[in-house]
Amino acid sequence: MVGIDRHLVRRALPLVVGLAYGLFYLYAIGDFTLYGPPAWGAFLTDPSLDRIFSARSTLMFEAIAVIELGWLVWLVSPLNVLITGLLAGLLAANIHGVLYLRAQPAACRVRSGNSLAGAFPALFAGGACCAPSLILLLGIPGLGAVSAFFGWLVPISIVALGLSRIWQNHHGAPPMFTLLPQRKQAKNKINELEQNL
Amino acid sequence: MFANHCISVSLLAAGLMLGSLAAAESIPTGEPAMVHEELDRYFDASLAGGPPKDGIPSIDQPRFERADQADRWLGDDDQVIGVYRNGIARAYPQSILVWHEIVNDEFDGESIAVTYCPLTGTALGFELGDDELGVSGRLVNSNLIMYNRQSDTYWPQILAAGVKGPQKGQGLREIRVVWTDWAAWRERHPETEVLSRRTGYARNYRRDPYGGYGPKSGYYAGGGTLFPVFERRDRFGDKHEIFGFRTADLAVAIDPAVLAEAGSLRFEGDNVDFLIIHDPVLTTGWVFQGPSGSLPDNAALEDLTFSAAGPRSDALADLVEVNGFEAMWFAWYAFYPNTVVID
Repeated sequence: MVGIDRHLVRRALPLVVGLAYGLFYLYAIGDFTLYGPPAWGAFLTDPSLDRIFSARSTLMFEAIAVIELGWLVWLVSPLNVLITGLLAGLLAANIHGVLYLRAQPAACRVRSGNSLAGAFPALFAGGACCAPSLILLLGIPGLGAVSAFFGWLVPISIVALGLSRIWQNHHGAPPMFTLLPQRKQAKNKINELEQNL
Repeated sequence: MFANHCISVSLLAAGLMLGSLAAAESIPTGEPAMVHEELDRYFDASLAGGPPKDGIPSIDQPRFERADQADRWLGDDDQVIGVYRNGIARAYPQSILVWHEIVNDEFDGESIAVTYCPLTGTALGFELGDDELGVSGRLVNSNLIMYNRQSDTYWPQILAAGVKGPQKGQGLREIRVVWTDWAAWRERHPETEVLSRRTGYARNYRRDPYGGYGPKSGYYAGGGTLFPVFERRDRFGDKHEIFGFRTADLAVAIDPAVLAEAGSLRFEGDNVDFLIIHDPVLTTGWVFQGPSGSLPDNAALEDLTFSAAGPRSDALADLVEVNGFEAMWFAWYAFYPNTVVID
């Protein structure tokens, strides 16, 4: 029973954390905002390819629709959603790798906790119009001088998470797709049951 | 025969291209107002604010609503930038401009740009001619650096002078815009149009990423500057709002509370005097200049009224209006460290 729980945790935790990270990332870059008074509605602005590929910053793109869900306003940018999916997927795969490698016998275990650190830079990339939101939040005089650097935080996160996942694979972590239900294993199990019948 | 035909077509195409180039003239300019530093320093010291060129998109096809329609989403205390030009009054809500910074607009055939920099709290208007202004993504003294799309010259908004590009050293032609609240602008201009939130861009116009103006909060309320500045002085708080005006060789900053209490102020420059009149409805100032000794006394201003275009009095007829605008103290001082201060 304990074994089944661990198996479930190894599968579910990366997906839950990845999803939460994705939502937080969209909030950090300003695509999700929580603001009152509440309003409901949705409208499309300009869904042209020009607009979709128009960059607000490095790897941050223009939204083409607004969805208002009470206090939550979602500025929908297809490319930002794609990048969010990539970041969240890489983080989930890294967590999966960490859990797998930690579950190995002590003699085979490698230190893999640092793999997750790559997820943090992207959260500080910010979404305000003239200065990244972290700078505004900290309010440290003169810190805006380094704001151009903040544009590189998203690509840094993608590269860091990608490299750490490759490192995990190299040390024996199973491929990313094992996060998803293993259809092949399930099919084999069914075949086995059918044969027994 | 075929070759001749091709040459003719090519010449025609080249002619059309030259024609179109000739028709698209760069932004009109004149002599710049005071430039305290070497021009190169303004660009060399500029920093990338984060977004790339046009990463903050200007509004190039603005739509407008009636005042009663805007009343549904615009509060009395909400800040607006008002423009009255060619008999047309328009309000540009700060909540929209904080996301776009520039609106390229047209007033009865005359193209103008309404510009706003949230980090320095400055709103200025400029004549455009056939040109448009865009957001360069760079800042100097925390102030928006604009560029014009025809000649790609860079113009810090407060300086209003070209600091890099083919029009370097030239000054933009300013038009008066008014930084006030919605209730005041609507009172002065009941027929005003209001910039619509249907800008063609997806933004949360209910949220200001820097804070708020009613009451002042976040970045606007206090604290230091986000970006380095040339000069600093603690005469007022960094974010304290002053009303300022400048000419080619003089910059004057006035504490709005002092102006409001006095009603009008006089300042004597070299060979020229300035009269600054407080507008009690719009809570701003209007500046007029005349030769030394030519300013009317208070008795001569007894017929002073405020029309849609600003103060009106027989005594002002011979004076020339000078553009003035509100700014955060730190920004004004960073550009004009030799400023005269009236407080």
